[in-house]
This record gives sequence, C-alpha cells and structure tokens, in this order.
Amino acid sequence: MTRWLPVPVLFGLAVLAGWQLAVTAADVPEYLLPAPSVIAASFDRSLGYQLAITFAEALAGFAIASAGAFACAIVFVRFKTIEDGLFPVAIALKTTPIVAIAPLLVIWLGTGWSSKIAAAVLISFFPVLVNATRGLKAADAEYRELFQTLGSSRAQEFRKLRIPYCLPYLFSALKISSSLAVVGAIVGEFVGATQGLGYLIIVSSSHLETPTVFAAIAAAAAAGITMFYIIGSIERAVVFWQSESVE
Amino acid sequence: MIRPARLALAQAGNPSRDPVVTVEDLEVSFADVKAIGGVTLTVGRGEFVSLLGPSGCGKSTLLKAIAGLVQPTAGRIRKADMCRRIGFMFQKPLLLPWRTALDNVLLPVEIEMGGSVVDASDRQRAIRMLEMVQLADFAGAYPHQLSGGMQQRVALARSLMADPDLLLLDEPFGALDEMTRDALNEELLRLWQSKATRLHSIVMVTHSISEAITLSDRVLVFSPRPAHLVEDVEVRISRPRAPEDPDSAAVIKRVRALVRGRP
Repeated sequence: MTRWLPVPVLFGLAVLAGWQLAVTAADVPEYLLPAPSVIAASFDRSLGYQLAITFAEALAGFAIASAGAFACAIVFVRFKTIEDGLFPVAIALKTTPIVAIAPLLVIWLGTGWSSKIAAAVLISFFPVLVNATRGLKAADAEYRELFQTLGSSRAQEFRKLRIPYCLPYLFSALKISSSLAVVGAIVGEFVGATQGLGYLIIVSSSHLETPTVFAAIAAAAAAGITMFYIIGSIERAVVFWQSESVE
Repeated sequence: MIRPARLALAQAGNPSRDPVVTVEDLEVSFADVKAIGGVTLTVGRGEFVSLLGPSGCGKSTLLKAIAGLVQPTAGRIRKADMCRRIGFMFQKPLLLPWRTALDNVLLPVEIEMGGSVVDASDRQRAIRMLEMVQLADFAGAYPHQLSGGMQQRVALARSLMADPDLLLLDEPFGALDEMTRDALNEELLRLWQSKATRLHSIVMVTHSISEAITLSDRVLVFSPRPAHLVEDVEVRISRPRAPEDPDSAAVIKRVRALVRGRP
C-alpha cells in the first residue's frame, strides 16, 4: 500500500498545480472556474458542519440499508417464493432514478433529516441485496452436502457456512453502497433541505459563489471516499482468507 | 461430549461377514438419466471395499445414496444398528477457509452439539486427530497456507472427528499427485487398521485399479452408466501390498479385463 499510494497522490498534486497555473495565466473569472487556492480558502467551519450533517445522514442510511438488505437476502435465500415475488419489485425500485423519487420523499417525510436518510437507504439498499443474495447461494453444493453428512440443521448451515461464505460478496457491495449513500443524502438535500452539502451546493450556485460550490463538491467526494476506505479496511480484516475481492 | 461405549472391533484384514450396509436392487434416476440400474451389494463389518468403474458410471451416486445424500428411486439401503455414524469424504477437501485446521476439525463436534461451545476435551481430541494425519504442527494454519495434500489430510481428520463406524470416500485423493496419493492411502490403511478410532469399515470410490487392489478386501467392478455390478472380486493378498508384487499384478490384470468388459 505504501508503495502505490504516492503515485496517485503525486498525480493529483500535479493536476491541481496545472489547474492553478492555467486559471491564473488565463485570468478565468472566479465564478466560472476558481483556482484551487481560492477553493481551499473557502473551506471553513460552516462547510465542516454541513459535511458532518451529510455524512451522518449517509451513514445512517447506509447502516439501515445494509442491515435491512442483508436480512432481506437471508429471507430470500430461505424462502424461494418470497424471492420470486419481491425480486422484481426490488429491480423496479433500483431502475427508478433516485432523483425522481426524492421530491416524493420530501413530501412524505418533510425537509428534515429523515427524507435524506430515506433517499440514502433507497439508493444503497439494492447492491447489498443483490450481492448478499448471490453470496448466500455461492457455497458449492458439495459444501452443503458435507454439512448434510454431518447432520447440520439449516440454521447451522447458515451460520457456519452460508453467512461466512457470503462475506466477500457482502463487502464488495458495502463498498459500492457506502459511497452511493452519500449520493442519496445529497440528492435528498437538493430537493428540500435547510442544511447539508446538497443544500450548500444549491444555495451557493444560485448566488454564483462558485468556490463554495467546488469546496462542497470536494467535501462530498471526500465523504464518499472515506466511507469506501473505512469499509475496505474492515473488509481486509474480516475477509482475511480472500486475497481478491469478488464482484 | 458423550460417546457411546466402544464396540468390539473386528480385526482388520479378517473381516467378519456381519453386514454393515446392505443395498438391495437400488435404482437411482435423475430426471431422464438413470444413474444406477439395480445394484445389490453388502459391506461387511471390518471390510475395506472399493467401488471401481469407468468415470461417470454412477459409483459416486451409489456412495451418496448410502450416505443418504441421494434418495433411491427404487430398492432400498439398510444400515446395521452398529453403524451409527457414517463419515463422508469428498474429492475436494471442502475446508472452511475462515477456520484454522483445528477449527475445521472441530466442525463436526460443533454441529453435533448445536448451540453449545466446544470444550477443552474436544480440542484435545481434535489435536489427536491432527496428530493421526501428522499435521499437529499445523493446527493453527489456515487452509490457504496448506498444500493440497495437507488440506485433504485435514479433511480426513475432520471425517474421523465425527467418530464414524463407516467411512465413505469419494475418490478422496484423486486430485492429488501420485506420491501424495500413495502416502495418504497408506495413512488411510493405517487408520483403518488402528484401534485408536471406532472406524471399522470403509467404502471407497476410485477409478485407479492398482489403488483399489492395493487397499481393499473386495473390489466391486461396475459397468458404464447405468451402473450394474459386474463382479465382486475378493482380494486375498496379505498386507502390505504393492502393485508390482506378482499376486497383486495378477489380480490387477484380471480386474483390468473386467473393467474393459473383456473377461
């Protein structure tokens, strides 16, 4: 990790330096494209507060979605009929753009945090559901025969075989869902909110405060990346037996 | 955990004919495919029996039917009362990759005990099982740190941990190189003859003729699918055997002719 980390960091710094030089040299107006130094100057305590709000909403949504989707996957794998009945509904839900549903969520749940959490739940639920369902079915038939010859109950088979076997699948979905949850929270804030990064972006852009917009975007990206890396490091500790992640 | 009193063992190599498993007119079909077409056989207490036949002939299905993993379409399978536990060993080690060798060996006990936790005596027994397959030093190793042969030895220790009377082996060492396979076969023979376990009878599926004759008391030769019993060959050669010995070579030649369908 220490070997490859410096390369992307150096590359990123080079891009920022080029950006800075280009904007300064061409004298681009700040409201069109602010220089990185100007954007950096607009990071302040208030931005940190908005970021904390969005991050908390995303985290809550992600936690609810992951737990719910995993429980749902267990039910799906255990009861085939329920899977057959509900899976199309889940796909329909996934295919509907979250941006289209978000206004409805605000009507139902108001402009407070609950509509943002709901949007985060909706967007991060599906990847976990699909992968967990697949992972719970992934153990070879021979593994299940082994458990059968040992006289295992179905619950033991889930606990000692299917669930651990599912973990690599689960974690690769959690990594995707964790950054999606940030997207969900921000979309929820776009539609109707009084705080959060999405709110900040909408308000600042209408005032042509472009540096703040950029700072909020950077903060949102940082939130998503942080979630991704936290889950990634938990994954490496938990799924130690699998060197490559499953997709 | 409480173990039933140890049964008096028939001397290995001197099998008594009390049947442990009796298969009568067994037929097994999957959808339109008939895998087994009317097989009758018995496995005696203390016997080492090999099932030999062309690959895909249904001998693995027969083994799974004896284990109760496959339901008979017709006919029946009876197990003697003394045959309380049946161990099954697959071609793949099927170790749980998130468990150490020791914890893999403990799996049968955990499953049998349900919710309760394994205790120190179970751990000691698991270590003894690993000692039997010469892997005591690797108790804390994870499967991905072990070679294929070592993994299969852990799987053997796991099968023994369930304390079976009868062990069913489905080409257990077929995926391994010849040298490892010979070593493991020798180990299996030693475990079968030893009195350290309750294990007294073995049924092994193989498609190696020399392996079948080097190991078993009886070799049951099967036809291509649907499997029929072609011949029941008793191998009356004292152990240890080597395929090169004239006695063994003669039986190998005979069985090879049977397998090819030209007796």
